[in-house]
Amino acid sequence: MAEPAPVNEDTELVARAQAGDPSAFDRLVVKYSPRLYGLVYNMTSNHEDTNDLMQDIFAKAYRSIKGFRGKSSFYTWIHSIGVNMTINFLKKRGRRFQMSLDDVDANIQNDKEFIELTATSNPVREADLGELQQKLNEAMMKLSNEHRAVVTMFDIQGMPHAEIAKILGISEGTVRSRLFYAHRQLQAHLEEFRKNNI
Amino acid sequence: MLDDNELQKLLRLKRYEQPSPEYFDKFLNEFHRRQRAEMLRRSAWRIAWDRVTAFFSEQTVGSFAYAAATALVLIVAGITSLNIVTSHHEAVIAQAQPVSAQPFGLNTRVHLPDFNELSNQTAHSATASLRPRYVMDARPVSYEPTSSF
Repeated sequence: MAEPAPVNEDTELVARAQAGDPSAFDRLVVKYSPRLYGLVYNMTSNHEDTNDLMQDIFAKAYRSIKGFRGKSSFYTWIHSIGVNMTINFLKKRGRRFQMSLDDVDANIQNDKEFIELTATSNPVREADLGELQQKLNEAMMKLSNEHRAVVTMFDIQGMPHAEIAKILGISEGTVRSRLFYAHRQLQAHLEEFRKNNI
Repeated sequence: MLDDNELQKLLRLKRYEQPSPEYFDKFLNEFHRRQRAEMLRRSAWRIAWDRVTAFFSEQTVGSFAYAAATALVLIVAGITSLNIVTSHHEAVIAQAQPVSAQPFGLNTRVHLPDFNELSNQTAHSATASLRPRYVMDARPVSYEPTSSF
């Protein structure tokens, strides 16, 4: 999922969009919307909020595209906008959020890694993996927005530390320490669940 | 306890929490529809403001450069205002000096203005304009009763 974006193609599309070609921006939207969806959804855990935020993120990017100087890749730039807008949204949403039970996605049931995980002998096999995943979502939502952003980009989207550091405007060391802390929190939360279900 | 590897496997599964491909087909249409609606709703000032903020948010000029530019503007404004005040003062003095109608010659008596008198006049006019007025425009108060019974 973290394949490097073809920079030349993006540069050309950005230049055309800056020159006023809306179809070039459309191609950027098509190209980056699935990846951004994953980022925003795993931070908000809500499909409707994700849809609205995605629209806002691309609208902001469209308004700002003429100011994009190409000092970073478009990929980094659009992800920075996405993360910042999502964190601002989450701050406003605060504690009004209620977790939806629909958040466990049916697509996972057919995934190769999911089947492998259920088949192998490990401590989580006994527990219902669907429920475990629900618990994981809950544990994710207990992380701070900044920690969740790092986990989403590194563990879920497979981005390298350096790229995450650029997107968030922090050092790689901070990325690593946030990941370490977030993993410990997630493990502790899931361990509680495992103890109660075995 | 789940080790790091197991946790990462579980987390990687979340990348499949994506809507169907049809969603992304519709997403672009929805984006266009919202863009059009927004353009109709937004005022020209709002659009201009967004462009200005977008321009400045993209500039990587440091705060020092902005401070230096502001200081430069203030200095230029200060010098300009100082020049205006000085030239006004010189004009006042030039008006006060009479110009001799006679041509100058070696034996011509040059009439020099009495600078003491000139400075007294200037000071007098300045003090006259600054002198407080003690006459009130309001009607004086009368202590007599306004009506008699």
